[in-house]
Amino acid sequence: MLNYYDPRKDAFSRDLGTPARLSEQQVALTIDGLEISVPEGTSVMRAAALAGITIPKLCATDNLEAFGSCRLCAVQIEGRRGYPASCTTPVAEGMAVTTQNGKLAKLRRNIMELYISDHPLDCLTCPANGDCELQDMAGAVGLREVRYGFEGANHLDAPTDDSNPYFSFDASKCIVCSRCVRACEEVQGTFALTIDGRGFDSKVAAGQDEDFMDSECVSCGACVQACPTSTLMEKSVIDQGVPEHSVVTTCAYCGVGCSFKAEMKGDQLVRMVPYKGGDANHGHSCVKGRFAFGYATHKDRIKTPMIRDSIDEPWREVSWEEAIQFSARRLKEIQARYGRESIGGITSSRCTNEETYLVQKLIRAAFGNNNTDTCARVCHSPTGFGLKTTLGESAGTQTFDSVMKADTILVIGANPTDAHPVFGSQMRRRLRQGATLIVADPRRIDLLKTPHGGRMLHLPLRPGTNVALINSLAHVVVSEGLEDQAFIDARCESGAYQAWRAFILEERNSPEALEAVTGVPADKVREAARAYAEVHNGAIYYGLGVTEHSQGSTMVMGIANLAMATGNIGREGVGVNPLRGQNNVQGSCDMGSFPHELPGYQHVADPAVRDRFEAVWKVKIDDEPGLRIPNMFDSAIAGTFKALYVQGEDIAQSDPNTQHVQAALTSLDCLIVQDIFLNETAKYAHVLLPGSTFLEKNGTFTNAERRINRVRKVMPPVAGKEDWEVTQDLANALGYPMNYSHPSEIMDEIALLTPTFTGVSYAKLEEHGSIQWPCNESHPDGTPTMHEVDFPIGKGHFAVTEYVPTEERTTRRFPLLLTTGRILSQYNVGAQTRRTANSQWHDEDVLEIHPSDAELRGIRDGDWLGVSSRVGHTVLRCRISDRMQPGVVYTTFHHPGSGANVITTDSSDWATNCPEYKVTAVQVEKVSQPSQWQQHFQDFDRRQKDYLENAGADATVNEPAPMGK
Amino acid sequence: MSGQGLEQLVKMVNQISANMHGATDEQAAEKVATHLQKFWARSMKAQILAYADDGGEDLTPISRQAVEKLREVRAAG
Ligand code: SF4
Ligand code: SF4
Ligand code: SF4
Ligand code: FES
Repeated sequence: MLNYYDPRKDAFSRDLGTPARLSEQQVALTIDGLEISVPEGTSVMRAAALAGITIPKLCATDNLEAFGSCRLCAVQIEGRRGYPASCTTPVAEGMAVTTQNGKLAKLRRNIMELYISDHPLDCLTCPANGDCELQDMAGAVGLREVRYGFEGANHLDAPTDDSNPYFSFDASKCIVCSRCVRACEEVQGTFALTIDGRGFDSKVAAGQDEDFMDSECVSCGACVQACPTSTLMEKSVIDQGVPEHSVVTTCAYCGVGCSFKAEMKGDQLVRMVPYKGGDANHGHSCVKGRFAFGYATHKDRIKTPMIRDSIDEPWREVSWEEAIQFSARRLKEIQARYGRESIGGITSSRCTNEETYLVQKLIRAAFGNNNTDTCARVCHSPTGFGLKTTLGESAGTQTFDSVMKADTILVIGANPTDAHPVFGSQMRRRLRQGATLIVADPRRIDLLKTPHGGRMLHLPLRPGTNVALINSLAHVVVSEGLEDQAFIDARCESGAYQAWRAFILEERNSPEALEAVTGVPADKVREAARAYAEVHNGAIYYGLGVTEHSQGSTMVMGIANLAMATGNIGREGVGVNPLRGQNNVQGSCDMGSFPHELPGYQHVADPAVRDRFEAVWKVKIDDEPGLRIPNMFDSAIAGTFKALYVQGEDIAQSDPNTQHVQAALTSLDCLIVQDIFLNETAKYAHVLLPGSTFLEKNGTFTNAERRINRVRKVMPPVAGKEDWEVTQDLANALGYPMNYSHPSEIMDEIALLTPTFTGVSYAKLEEHGSIQWPCNESHPDGTPTMHEVDFPIGKGHFAVTEYVPTEERTTRRFPLLLTTGRILSQYNVGAQTRRTANSQWHDEDVLEIHPSDAELRGIRDGDWLGVSSRVGHTVLRCRISDRMQPGVVYTTFHHPGSGANVITTDSSDWATNCPEYKVTAVQVEKVSQPSQWQQHFQDFDRRQKDYLENAGADATVNEPAPMGK
Repeated sequence: MSGQGLEQLVKMVNQISANMHGATDEQAAEKVATHLQKFWARSMKAQILAYADDGGEDLTPISRQAVEKLREVRAAG
């Protein structure tokens, strides 16, 4: 069933001309005789729009500040001379405005005539035909003749810039309204565009008058969306024409969770336009969400279920029924032979909440054990552990909008402009308003280069020394009397606080004592601590640079301690905010993916919790936690773990120590992979079940602000089934009945069993657009800011955070530290983004190395570098960069063949086994050929791809036994 | 489980012990035992208990105490 939410029917579809003003002061005026009262500071244009009166306009739009260049919006105001522009004129008490009369009509026609006289008149064949504001305005003002011909100087043969893969810039159609320039500045914060020249000669230029691709442009598309003409235009619209209907849905690329209008022609997706009504993004997006959706219709999509008896055999295409029966039979045989605990499954942080819930239910109810885990294990499991211990809930405390009230923003181990771009743009907006920025990161991230930002501090710490740094920051806060004693007394547990205070005050935690460890000068640490603690609102944002360490959990607790000690919890503008990587990391954790917790972070050992679940699931639940992913791998190699069901994850590429993972996967008797492509993991599988993309299913994602957003189906799944339907079929084949007919019914069951979700339903989501959990009796409309009155554990708990250096240390053999990260245009393992034109920005993973380390080794930019650690060896191309400090090298892991994870080790967080991706001791040297692993990878890859291509053609595979339940 | 898997478990307990703090070693061991009981799978607990029975030579002193406490918790539970 297609479930449309038609954005045309709601308030966000109208352009009110200028942005909203938030003043509490109301101002009353009349417009064309109509009385209206609006917040002070509102423009006459917006007031008119709110009163239902449309004033013609070209250069104004309601997500940009008014500029007043086209004059088309002229009005008359009683008692004032001339024809002021309504977009730049603020309302005043008692004002009487006239928007239409003969004089105004004539004025507007004259203006339009001038515009049109320098504009190609090829409307009928223009890609924006029917979707062009210039055309609309010509109609609105009643333009009937153009007295000036094209014979004078004009711009009609200005060239088109086609360099960007997703949009083109046809300068001949530009009316120099500067909306694009303002969008790039105000909305995106990149400042890539300018208006060059003056008067008639003025034109839009990217960068230093370069092609878009060569400029600083990050291809967010804000300018394309802002352009009223077809000058900046999506190539997909040029190719396919203007879309005819649209559906609001949620981006599946990152934890920001942007809302989009999927604009369609039949079941063909023409373009994605960020939705103004989306509470996470307010109408902005990045290059991934807006443009990189082509993978959904890529030829590599798996379209039929496939099975094989061993991974050295070609695939055999089969029916869904056959694939499901084959899987169920294998799983049952293995359990009969090796025991109930010999099988397990992995849920996905890319799939919906409903799908994740169903997979863990399948494991706990149909497999009869708790061997469920999720890839969030490898990114944010320490967040769950650390925040639950200190604040009592495994989630961030704020909305994204809260950052607009922060006075100091402390960013630790995160790179928002690349990994959470839309939130990065919002941060930059706040920085341009003058907030202070502190970045604690080994790399000089781009946020530090925010144009027109305020004060910026960088603490370039050594990888692996986070806890030492956070302790020294807290030491300064406590020893300099910067604590919020009233908050601590009222809100925190006193005994734990006293113990923590005594610990943190010890001299060994001072910035001076720890300078040698962190590498950050003590006076900079003191300055940063003051900048965070002395302002009214200090907000902390952190990412995987915090969690992916041997002390990831300790660091999360250290962050919570610092926020509590300074009273920066429980209101807007403050808080502790994990920036989640994949789109549904928050949701997959919430939905009970971890082996020790049922949905809603309820421990399996708690009999009261199990009782409630058992009553609804009608099955006994194991009271002991199950295996985590790394333990599953170890047990597989040991021969006690034999089968795995993996939905929408690529553990063979994303998990550390690839060779170990490959050994584990090869040891399995049955690997069932459900994915949209033949991913790296699927090459080791016996069953391949086609997955569905976010465009092909209904459900919900939960973003980093705990916001539950609807995902709506806009096209049918290529292989006929949404992912949750496949899990349901598998459960039924295993003899555990599941009979959902729509994901909304799964959500109803989640609400029934999860105390923080009791108020959530699809009906309520439809009504509110989105909901931030907890949503229950005490918070019927959800909870934008957490911990306002108390913590779920009552009082906040300070945890002692002793710094324990990681065992992953540099040695003579491995003298450099490797740290990993991601970039804007690619997503995670890259399976989706690599299959789009986004690869034009990042076609390979490279190793960034500091000039001094390079010189020492005689390495030049572009050389092939052998990178080895104690577990493996790979080869990457070199890029010399001083974003890193000497002694630290950096790479990404978006391409499987580069094998970045062949070098990362199995070191992990002590509490959660989240791998220590951010620190690996390595050596780097110049080489001339790929590593042995890479050669092996290429061979294996080629063979597996052949097996896929020849699927069904090979008759040598044994017929599986006859069907039947 | 093979030597490698066991080695990994020993490494894990010792790492937990190094990061869990209490006023006394006894308290720290208590916390480690609670952590193991709460987060480790049945098979992992069984293996580490068996390892301690066999002498558990690579366990740090706190880890050793913690495993003994884990044994008590499981006997009581
Ligand atoms: S696509 Fe984005 S970054 Fe590029 S010019 Fe347009 S607004 Fe600026
Ligand atoms: S490119 Fe579009 S938005 Fe930019 S100035 Fe020209 S017409 Fe206006
Ligand atoms: S990738 Fe993230 S920031 Fe970009 S559009 Fe999607 S949700 Fe928004
Ligand atoms: S819309 Fe007001 S001057 Fe252009």
